[in-house]
Amino acid sequence: MQSRIRNFSIIAHIDHGKSTLADRLIQECGAVSEREMSSQMMDTMDIEKERGITIKAQSVRLTYVKDGQPYILNLIDTPGHVDFSYEVSRSLASSDGALLVVDASQGVEAQTIANVYIAIEHNLEIIPVINKIDLPAADPERVKDEIEHTIGLDCSESLNVSAKSGIGIRELLDRIVDRIPAPTGDENAPTKALIYDSWFDNYLGALALVRVYDGTIVKGQEVYVMGTGKKHEVLNLMYPHPLAMQKTNEIKTGEVGIVVLGLKNVGDVQVGDTITDAKRKTAEAVGGFKQVKQFVFAGLYPIETDRFEELRDALDKLKLNDSSISYEPETSAALGFGFRVGFLGLLHMEVIKERLEREFDLDLIATAPTVTYKVVTTKGTSLDIQNPSELPPVNEIEEIQEPYVKATVLTPSEFLGNIIILMNNKRGLQKKMDYLSPERVLLEYEIPLNEIVMDFYDKLKSVSKGYASFDYEPIGYQAGDLVKLDVLVAGEVVDALSIIVPRISAQSRGRDFVKAMKEIVPRQLFEVAIQASIGNKVIARETVKSMGKNVTAKCYGGDITRKRKLLEKQKEGKKRMKSIGKVQLPQEAFLTILKID
Amino acid sequence: MLAYLHIPFCDSKCHYCAFNSYDTKSTLKKAYMSAINDQLRFELEQNAIEKQSIRSLFIGGGTPSCIDAARYEPFFALITPYLTPDAEITTEANPHSATLSWLQTMHALGVNRISFGVQSFHAQKLAFLGRNHTPVTAIRAVENAFNAGIRNLSVDLIYATAYDTEALLNEDLRIACSLPINHISAYALTLEENTPFFGRNETTNPSEELARAFVASIVEAGFPQYEISNFGRYQSRHNTGYWLHENYMGVGAGAVGFFDDRRFYPPSEIEAYVQNPLARRTEMLSLEDLHVEKIFLGLRSNVGVLTSLLSQRERENAAILLHEKKLVQINDRLFNQDYFLSDELALFLTR
Repeated sequence: MQSRIRNFSIIAHIDHGKSTLADRLIQECGAVSEREMSSQMMDTMDIEKERGITIKAQSVRLTYVKDGQPYILNLIDTPGHVDFSYEVSRSLASSDGALLVVDASQGVEAQTIANVYIAIEHNLEIIPVINKIDLPAADPERVKDEIEHTIGLDCSESLNVSAKSGIGIRELLDRIVDRIPAPTGDENAPTKALIYDSWFDNYLGALALVRVYDGTIVKGQEVYVMGTGKKHEVLNLMYPHPLAMQKTNEIKTGEVGIVVLGLKNVGDVQVGDTITDAKRKTAEAVGGFKQVKQFVFAGLYPIETDRFEELRDALDKLKLNDSSISYEPETSAALGFGFRVGFLGLLHMEVIKERLEREFDLDLIATAPTVTYKVVTTKGTSLDIQNPSELPPVNEIEEIQEPYVKATVLTPSEFLGNIIILMNNKRGLQKKMDYLSPERVLLEYEIPLNEIVMDFYDKLKSVSKGYASFDYEPIGYQAGDLVKLDVLVAGEVVDALSIIVPRISAQSRGRDFVKAMKEIVPRQLFEVAIQASIGNKVIARETVKSMGKNVTAKCYGGDITRKRKLLEKQKEGKKRMKSIGKVQLPQEAFLTILKID
Repeated sequence: MLAYLHIPFCDSKCHYCAFNSYDTKSTLKKAYMSAINDQLRFELEQNAIEKQSIRSLFIGGGTPSCIDAARYEPFFALITPYLTPDAEITTEANPHSATLSWLQTMHALGVNRISFGVQSFHAQKLAFLGRNHTPVTAIRAVENAFNAGIRNLSVDLIYATAYDTEALLNEDLRIACSLPINHISAYALTLEENTPFFGRNETTNPSEELARAFVASIVEAGFPQYEISNFGRYQSRHNTGYWLHENYMGVGAGAVGFFDDRRFYPPSEIEAYVQNPLARRTEMLSLEDLHVEKIFLGLRSNVGVLTSLLSQRERENAAILLHEKKLVQINDRLFNQDYFLSDELALFLTR
């Protein structure tokens, strides 16, 4: 039966039409009726739909009939943001082929390239698909040249489609059946299945989405999760579908399915782990399993200090749902009790903060995101620092090291100058510059991770009018001449605002920081001084002038209740501010760092 | 104990006015003036008001002067025994309708204070505001009141309108000071919902400098400020009573009464009120509500805030405000040093 299965992913850059193409394939195979169809079927979280990005991988099992023969097509969707590149690699590892979807007018993007290379590493059959060919600016021939030139992929048999208007969809489905190899697992071998996604369902508990390589998984089977060393009973099995999952008693060799083990914690079925039979274990787990590694750390604090325990509960629950976060309690003189939370990247951080606020009704302050610094002390010990305020006194520091990445940027050549300036500002060291064609350039830089976890992505988009794309991978630590920049509000150091910056740009960062803070902090009853300092030396100062007036003209007998309600409303608005001594700071003040160049 | 009578009639409606008043329902005046007596009788009885216990009566509107003075006689006949002998008895009046004879009759009924809705002595500014009187009418009305024997006179002035310049406001103030008045109410134009001005920011002049300069000029002209909008050598007992959180009886459509921990709201529609002047909605006030009210009322006026009212946390906030010289403490009360910041101070104190 494996000969009738095709497992494939879609590789595409954001906005190149991945979700729309997935919708179209689902529709063409009749898996969802016209009435049930909503756009972006595969993006199920509100945040995904609002932002137009895919965060969680999703899958759908489709049936497609070709030449009278029914085929099972498992479409394995992949997240579309660089923060989630590990999930992408696991999704690709579960596939036997991939559609490389490229926008006919935009061309190849950096992230696409990175993902194609992962696909090639996994020996996937890649079918180039040129999408949006019905747009006036479409230039499929140029895009094909680009794919051949940059990736070295033969485009002679590429397909031209328009997911939006349905052009070329049947041809694409036929091509999938013809070209993507069927799985070739050993049906009689011990169970061997890769968890390529997992999530938490309120009714069913932690669910594992798996690709079965060898053997089968059957209902009632006792399985063994190799990474955790824990045994579980298979309670239920299902085939994935965005609307109605279909129950089954068995997931056969080569198939994709959802395993219900009745677990409360997603951490027990981590992405990348291998499921095997508890009695007859497979000799070797599926390769490439990595513990997720958080790159970005930030403090999360409840605005109302007495809601710390609620935040802890919320994080505990969210962790069951998203095992890629880490968190440890920490305290801040300014903010009270909170958590130092580790994220995959800045987008992941935004998503988690938003989910905590929405799903758990919390008002949170997020502090400036930071990477993990390594500090060698004069005593010869080494410390991992994820919170600038934990940095030891200057006289105890021998050396501070920071993580670096190799960043790949692809840009139309007209923006090259802007991008080189941006990369230089971000302390990037150019390693490579290749003209892929007269119009497009590939750049490689070594750059501190800290510089790109902030708002690098937005800056890159703005200096290139949205055309440049980018991807990165960690390459280890390098020593840097770094110092801690403190911020004083009304004369008091606010520990949650401290950042680590290169000494050489400390002065200008300090100036920019206080200037940006001045814009964010609303006028108060008192004049508020905002200062930046290094050690005890103040290097910049701005003043937020005191408020002029806040009073209503009339308040007689008939006005008092209305007036009280008005004040209560104003008070409610201020609740989202944090009192630090006599000053009230809005939430976004703690993310000022993201507002400066 | 205070008493308030609301007259919800006007000869014309001003562009900025959000008060409960109607300029199209004058046929209801007779029935209305009878209904208020029914309510008054009920209130006196219901609240077991003792004779000679009401320190102040205030007739507001609307436009009290658009009702014939004679029509007030039954009301006064009923309430006078309950007023203290030295009670402050104020009525609002519009310069256009407060004729000499109206003023004389009201004085004879017991009125000893008039608050004139002058707003400005500048003809174009008056027209812009939708007022139906001229500067000359206003001047004559105030003089008539004085000649009728009423000694406590106040004029309302409005500022922060698009017309205002320092020169215009000084001229308004100069003319006001030339009149026999001992009180000025100066209100910043507020764009209220359901008025023609609402949402039209171009009708205002929000300059803080101008506002502060005008207030300073009024004080300099010999009218000490005792609330954000009230100035006078004579301080209205009635207004101060509100800020002291005293009980008040509210008679009339859209009036509000307050007794200890509840407010009473008779119907605001004239027709509904006339039909049943005893109907009322009751609002219960929590201790927290009363606490907050005492604080913001005390801060917007020279009433101040008793320190013994404050919670531990509020005392800490008060200490900051004292240190920053935003408040001063005299004996056991905190006083506001800058009325323009009253609301912000109340928010800070109760944060």
